[in-house]
Amino acid sequence: MKRRNFRGAYALGIAGLFGLGVLGASRPAQAEEIQLTGPLAGAPPVRKLRQQRKGRFEVAPAFSFTLLDEYRRTMVVGGTATYNAFDWLGFGVYGGYGVIAPLTALSDNVNTSAPRNARTAVNVAKGDFGNQVSKMTWMLVPQLQVAPFRGKLAILSKVFVDTDLYLHLGLGFHGLEERKDCTGADCTKDVKDMASRVAISPNFGLGFKFYTNNLVNFGLEYRAFPYSWNRAGLDQRGGGNDGKFPDQKIDTNDQTFKFNQMITLSVGFAFPAKPALSE
Amino acid sequence: MKGIRRVAGCLLAVSALVAVPQVALAQKGGKKPPPAAAPAAAPAAPAAAPAGGDAIEIDDPNAKKPEAPPAAPAAAANPGAGGGGICDIDPTACPKQSDIKALADKKVAAEVYAVEQEFALKKGRVEVNPYGAFTLNDQFVSHPAIGLTANYYLTNVLAVGINGNLFAGLNVDSDFNFQNRRATRVAVPLTEYQWSAALQFSYVPIYGKFSGFNAFIFNYDVYALGGVGAISTRPIAVIDPDNRKFDFKPKIDFNVGVGFRIAFNKWFAGTLELRDHIYVEQLENIRVGRSQAEQTDVNSWLGDKPLTNHIQAQLGVSVFLPFGFEYRLPK
Repeated sequence: MKRRNFRGAYALGIAGLFGLGVLGASRPAQAEEIQLTGPLAGAPPVRKLRQQRKGRFEVAPAFSFTLLDEYRRTMVVGGTATYNAFDWLGFGVYGGYGVIAPLTALSDNVNTSAPRNARTAVNVAKGDFGNQVSKMTWMLVPQLQVAPFRGKLAILSKVFVDTDLYLHLGLGFHGLEERKDCTGADCTKDVKDMASRVAISPNFGLGFKFYTNNLVNFGLEYRAFPYSWNRAGLDQRGGGNDGKFPDQKIDTNDQTFKFNQMITLSVGFAFPAKPALSE
Repeated sequence: MKGIRRVAGCLLAVSALVAVPQVALAQKGGKKPPPAAAPAAAPAAPAAAPAGGDAIEIDDPNAKKPEAPPAAPAAAANPGAGGGGICDIDPTACPKQSDIKALADKKVAAEVYAVEQEFALKKGRVEVNPYGAFTLNDQFVSHPAIGLTANYYLTNVLAVGINGNLFAGLNVDSDFNFQNRRATRVAVPLTEYQWSAALQFSYVPIYGKFSGFNAFIFNYDVYALGGVGAISTRPIAVIDPDNRKFDFKPKIDFNVGVGFRIAFNKWFAGTLELRDHIYVEQLENIRVGRSQAEQTDVNSWLGDKPLTNHIQAQLGVSVFLPFGFEYRLPK
């Protein structure tokens, strides 16, 4: 009997806890929304806000590096030019050039360990394997920036910095240097031929901007730009009944989907140098 | 500078307001004001209501400035005359016009912190943080996990806690590995994870608030963490899967990370955390013995021990217990 009572109390406790959670969760997320009935009722959360974006043109030199690369990493030097029609909406362009493109450990391993024989003749150059690994050479992305969240942060309660969080969406044109299509004996040459092409893909992500003063800001941005490409010039697809086996050719079948990603660090300069204030 | 002008305007208006009741008292037929006071007070009246009847907006820096009362220069020449106070005690210390001008020109650092008070105090509270995690830096095998962190806040910014991840059954060997092995005849040694556990400290150096479309506000903070514990991993037999079989073994695991926490209310928050597990991994030997005896020799199965960084992103929620608290700090 005692045990039953204990179980009942336990269940009641759990139910109470759940109820508290539901009650708590139903509270509005807008923790500091003005909910007064006095003169502040309906007032905006922020008055005299420094509108760091509205009506300003921003140029931001940037340095980017790719993530989760299989055969080659790419470091891109470029920048963003953006005109912000509103404090929450801007449009512009991001562009960059892949200046440094080191090989990964896997590429080095293939280069030193892969057997060069009839079985691998299509896939692995007799010379430096790195020469057949694809490169991102340039990228150009017309894009929109939407900044729904604007605020401040305190660092160690000493330094206070204007901050915003923005989303970006654009259509990217990506210059690639990729292994050239080939068939038959062309594919088994000691040195693999390379060719350039442009891949078009959506670009999207989010970023933070930290406004250290009216003119200068620092940015940290994540960008995804998924598309299919043949990252190492390997014959992986096109054969068999379902096309999932090698076919001794290099063609578009060998371009496999990759969710390409990169991180960008930037320094922005906004003009005019003095931002407007909101009401 | 504008603030100083406003203060000066306020002082002028206050002096006028002080003077006006004195005049009113005289009109009620009470004691007559001293003759000397009337000339000084009367010209001050226009400060409150300038000619033309325009109202003065004290806070408006573009508002029309009232003309200086005629008596002001006389009073300013010797502000202490008849005023008593410091001027009676020590005439040399009596403020002069030049002193007031210097004070008016002095720059004031009238700074108001935009983030004056933390939204949710944490000291003495327990944070329970369940989350889902996924791998950021392993393109060969992803190690998704479910995990839990429990922190006790010693102060509002410093916490001690425990963290655990369960990886078992969730590791995913990418198809890329097979494609690469088939094409190049080179295998990448792979590993899978079972669990990890760590003791940790976390510190909150950054907090702030965001306004969404200037319609609502939410608070957030950024924390850094460091800890030490163990992670249980084993190689996946890809070089010689016919002969090799590996067991999970724990390794010392150092954790560092940074997290972003958005407060939905005083006890419920969403979290995004990046955590780096730093440990010495045990890989499969990429060389295979030539004889059957060599291939079945357990001692030949293990290869390199590289220092490994496993970076995972964690998306979760935080519940702070007890749910409520009281501010004990002044604003």
